[in-house]
Amino acid sequence: MNKITVHCTVNHKPVAVEIDPNKRLLDMLREDLNLTSVKEGCSEGECGACTVIFNGEPVTSCCVLAGQAEGADIITLEGVSVDGKPDVVQQAFMDAGAVQCGFCTPGMILTAEALLAKNPAPTEEEVKQAMSGNLCRCTGYAKIVEAVLLAAERARGGV
Amino acid sequence: MKRRGTGVGCMFYGVGNTGLPNPAAAFVQVLPDTSVHVTVGAADIGQGSSTMAASVAAETLGLNYEDIHVVWADTMYAPEGGATSASRQTFITGNAVKNACQTAMGELKRTASEELNVPEEDLVFRKREIYSNKDASVRMTYPELMAAMGKKGRLAVGAGYYNPKTTYLSPVDMSGVPYELYSYATCILEVEVDTDTGEVSLLKAVSAHDVGTPIGIKLVEGQIEGGTAMGTGFVISEKIDVDPKTLAIKNPTLSKYIIETSMDVPVVYPIVVSSEGEAGPFGAKGVGEPALIPSIPATIAAINDAIGSSFTSTPIFPADIVKAWKEQQKTQG
Ligand code: FES
Ligand code: FES
Repeated sequence: MNKITVHCTVNHKPVAVEIDPNKRLLDMLREDLNLTSVKEGCSEGECGACTVIFNGEPVTSCCVLAGQAEGADIITLEGVSVDGKPDVVQQAFMDAGAVQCGFCTPGMILTAEALLAKNPAPTEEEVKQAMSGNLCRCTGYAKIVEAVLLAAERARGGV
Repeated sequence: MKRRGTGVGCMFYGVGNTGLPNPAAAFVQVLPDTSVHVTVGAADIGQGSSTMAASVAAETLGLNYEDIHVVWADTMYAPEGGATSASRQTFITGNAVKNACQTAMGELKRTASEELNVPEEDLVFRKREIYSNKDASVRMTYPELMAAMGKKGRLAVGAGYYNPKTTYLSPVDMSGVPYELYSYATCILEVEVDTDTGEVSLLKAVSAHDVGTPIGIKLVEGQIEGGTAMGTGFVISEKIDVDPKTLAIKNPTLSKYIIETSMDVPVVYPIVVSSEGEAGPFGAKGVGEPALIPSIPATIAAINDAIGSSFTSTPIFPADIVKAWKEQQKTQG
């Protein structure tokens, strides 16, 4: 198969990756760019573990062909921390106790980042709605929702 | 029509194996800089056994949580930890860590006793200080103690293990002591049932758990919240579909085995009940499985209360509910 070259921005840096045209974005990020925070849970767009921020939207990267990322702006969990330190959402997940096994956490945090970028003051209902595409088997979501609300409050300069 | 119902589920649950040997071990060393290496075999799958091990070590040694480094589940270095199952790691590995720390404290006590001129049994180790329980002004800091240990060429090391006191069950009548301790819980849960669509909305769950002495309240709450989501899901949406001929699981995908999302879970009010005198470390008990168990009968009872049905098994799908409601209407005429 002839390889194709995908040009896009990943975690604020322009990259050009040569790949098989049938490769999924998930695999390009994990295998070619070594961004292993992107998790594969279900491979069918159900669980949200593979979520990345794709042109500002949370997208399940298992359902995107890498070629579709041409020209796109992609953020993974590795691109969220600031100077190697947790950002406000990551810190809130830790403080609220929103992480158990951690497998859903990268996707949860990216979905929360995308939500808060658009809606800095979401209601609890809006948070639950936004996070409903990300499954978590461990936490029952209570502390995840709490973490997103806490992050929103802190980012707005509260607590 | 939307109808509400409330159900209650109670349980007691044996922590550990049923009447079988069930040990776990730990290694501990307090280093000259007062940091501590704890090595356990327990696999932390997110429930927090490593956090628990660090808390138990800090409390036993009189150091801070931040002083403790836990290496876990690496079979190249760690002693036997047994399975992360049966809600047993807090109880059994926790006691193993405590025992290992107590062994490591032999030399610490001997040294502190010589330095402070206080009998070993009168020494208190707390918050990075060592003092006499007769006169708290007779004291030294942990760094001072470790310096004294260094001068005398002594090391604070310990290995320990724990095996719960149980007996094999009699093959004749199954009598015996299957578990050394039990956890207790009650869950009260409210649902709203749509009798036209059969859909069940999980509204609220109040779930109270006797966990002995809680080690890390936030972790215990997280277990209860997650367990309630699993237990309720077990009733309203989760079914492992097994092919009766091949015994293959027919729905091993998340699009066919439906677990609750953030929109589906009830609002959970966890109540952590402490009790005293249990055999776990500092009186702690397991909460892993107890977290989910009572929410299952509570959900079934709540559905039955809402529509006057008499379901006794899981799962209960919308079609089952519509059918039960229709039958119920018929019999009422
Ligand atoms: S792996 Fe992509 S949604 Fe589950
Ligand atoms: S923390 Fe385990 S799946 Fe969410």
